[in-house]
Amino acid sequence: MPSVASKQYSDDVSLLVLLLDTNPLFWSNTSITFSQFLSHVLAFLNAVLGLNQLNQVVVIATGYSSCDYIYDSSLTSNHGNFESRGTGMPPLFASLLKKLEDFVTKDEELSREEGHEDRTPSCLLSGSLSMALCYIQRVFRSGHIHPQPRILCLQGSPDGPEQYVAVMNSIFSAQRLMVPIDSCYIGVQNSAFLQQASYITGGVHHTPKQLDGLFQYLTTIFATDLHSRGFVQLPKPIGVDFRASCFCHKKTIDMGYICSVCLSIFCEHHKKCSTCGSVFGQSKLDEASSVSDKKRKAPHT
Amino acid sequence: MPQVKIIAKNFMDMVASLPAIKLDKLYNNVFICEAILRSLPPLAKKYVLQMLYIDVPVPSTMMEEWVLADGASKHRVAIDRLIQLRIFSEIVDRKRGTSYSLNRTFQNNLQKHIISGGVLPREPMNSDNAIKLPSLQELEAYANKKWESFLLQLINSGHGEKLTGISESMMKIFQRGLLSQRDKDGPRLTESGFQFLLMDTNAQLWYIIREYISNAEERNVEPADLISFLLELSFHVTGEAYNSNTLTEVQRKTLKDLEDLGLVKLQQGMKDSWFIPTKLATNLSVSLADSSSRKEGFVVMETNFRMYAYSTSKLQCEILRLFARIEYQLPNLIACAITKESLYNAFDNGITSDQIITFLQQNSHPRCADRVPSIPENVTDQIRLWEGDLKRIEMTQAHFYDEFPSKDVFEAACDFAREWGGLLWEDSKRMRLVVKSEIHNQMREFLHTQSK
Repeated sequence: MPSVASKQYSDDVSLLVLLLDTNPLFWSNTSITFSQFLSHVLAFLNAVLGLNQLNQVVVIATGYSSCDYIYDSSLTSNHGNFESRGTGMPPLFASLLKKLEDFVTKDEELSREEGHEDRTPSCLLSGSLSMALCYIQRVFRSGHIHPQPRILCLQGSPDGPEQYVAVMNSIFSAQRLMVPIDSCYIGVQNSAFLQQASYITGGVHHTPKQLDGLFQYLTTIFATDLHSRGFVQLPKPIGVDFRASCFCHKKTIDMGYICSVCLSIFCEHHKKCSTCGSVFGQSKLDEASSVSDKKRKAPHT
Repeated sequence: MPQVKIIAKNFMDMVASLPAIKLDKLYNNVFICEAILRSLPPLAKKYVLQMLYIDVPVPSTMMEEWVLADGASKHRVAIDRLIQLRIFSEIVDRKRGTSYSLNRTFQNNLQKHIISGGVLPREPMNSDNAIKLPSLQELEAYANKKWESFLLQLINSGHGEKLTGISESMMKIFQRGLLSQRDKDGPRLTESGFQFLLMDTNAQLWYIIREYISNAEERNVEPADLISFLLELSFHVTGEAYNSNTLTEVQRKTLKDLEDLGLVKLQQGMKDSWFIPTKLATNLSVSLADSSSRKEGFVVMETNFRMYAYSTSKLQCEILRLFARIEYQLPNLIACAITKESLYNAFDNGITSDQIITFLQQNSHPRCADRVPSIPENVTDQIRLWEGDLKRIEMTQAHFYDEFPSKDVFEAACDFAREWGGLLWEDSKRMRLVVKSEIHNQMREFLHTQSK
């Protein structure tokens, strides 16, 4: 599928929506600690905000079973934060860190309440993508003078195939809104969802090899505004994993059955489509065996 | 060596043309580094960020690989700008070619800024002293009023009352490029004066400030100090009061002038005096380099060449009068029409059709701006056609050659003229030739040698 061309912008004011992976199951065994990771990310956010006075940054934390807005730079500008004078952290991010802490504790409680489902240790990417797109839609509706929005996904957790439908829906909405989704994957395996997201929406996907240089990767690749992307060398996609997951068992499949009405994917033959309710006929494989029987009889007549 | 010459057209060019020592001293201030970073072209900003933590010089060939082929010119512009501002220092090595590294002070300051944010040299005053701070709307109205009365006085000097507190001599300096003095009539706006009026507020503000700073040396004020104070001012918070006792004497005098322009509001209390920066001041660093206007428009353009401007400001009325005929003025609306005569008037004064169209597009009412195109095409086309009317005839000084002795001489003369790029018209049947005046002498010598 060819990737869509992004809108043409004349200046470089950007709105960056950052989806931060806080999945504790991932962060418990990585080469880089969460606090080191955060220091890279906060420096990167400061750099983006420093590039242009009108740049905005929104941070959404993606947890194991919930997501929430952590920081919105347009809400905290023009207010002198007197409370944070003494801490030595830049006044910009004291509130971010506090909210992040509250969010992680709440997320942990929620996951404990849910019980130990037999789920892959993935983060709730579909939820945070939807929240990001809602925010961007609100920005679009606020008037015709708005910064260029883009989404950056910083993730390390593997994909959860049960979220396939929701993630693909978000990706197509982003494509229609012409909002590129960049993705920076810092985990071990490959993330097919993120590769597909960046490919379809015209964003950049990259897997940094050395995590202690994360700031350099972020500023070199992901700080490029949409206006400059037309003439800067950025990593190109090589081999995107386009495999789908079935709607019934959420397994990743290569070959399967598709409903001709709503295009839902199933791994085995069903009598009725679970999404749109249309009735399926006999499976083609069964028909093929009966046709071949008939063929053997045909030459008689 | 930078390949693009510096023409001090705007403020950043003026900063770039400061002597090296002064520029390096400027970079000691974190906020100036930040403001200058924001004023760079987007590609240059990217390069600075990428080089921020690299200590070794990066070869220029490697940097050229960072852009695609069609970005090569932008790459060149970005590198030149960085060298002019002494952010990149160039190291030429015969073996390894040129390489660039980031200015050490600039690099350190920017690193500190990114990691730990920035702290202003002064804090807002607490509001428990029962100071009555104006609300943000009042402040904006105040700033707009001051700026407009300044502009009106700028273009109307000679007729009107004195509207602002700026001295006569200061006004003369500002008007230097914009007005021309004629003996019989009053001063008239020059071509650049008209173009100045059609620019957006930020560009106008920077022009005035540039004039103010270039004049600073005559008043014994160090331009680098002024520049650093102004750039620092743009990082303050709009609407918050800052105590004036944190300023030096020079800065206090500057503040008085800035108040006349509408950049700050000075207030006096019992013991202290303080200043409140307005939106004009804090927006200073938004568009240092180019002028992308992002304010509310007020002009609705119709396909029957009628224009409705939802504005009550005298200044905007004057600007519209430049190229449109004002039909009538209502309490909240100015109704005008664009006619051939009004446009011819504008073209005579040196305004181009592109400027008029850009002005209309940038100031179009939000309801119109959502439409594509925001101004009807028949209006834009007609404006351009009317401008083309005045440019139908182009004059070039030339010489006319006739009565050639033979066809060969005629052909030789044609080729000669073509080689020198001066052939304007030829008629081979009757052997006549029109050639530009610049090569007339060479043509004559050539024909003399031919006839021998």
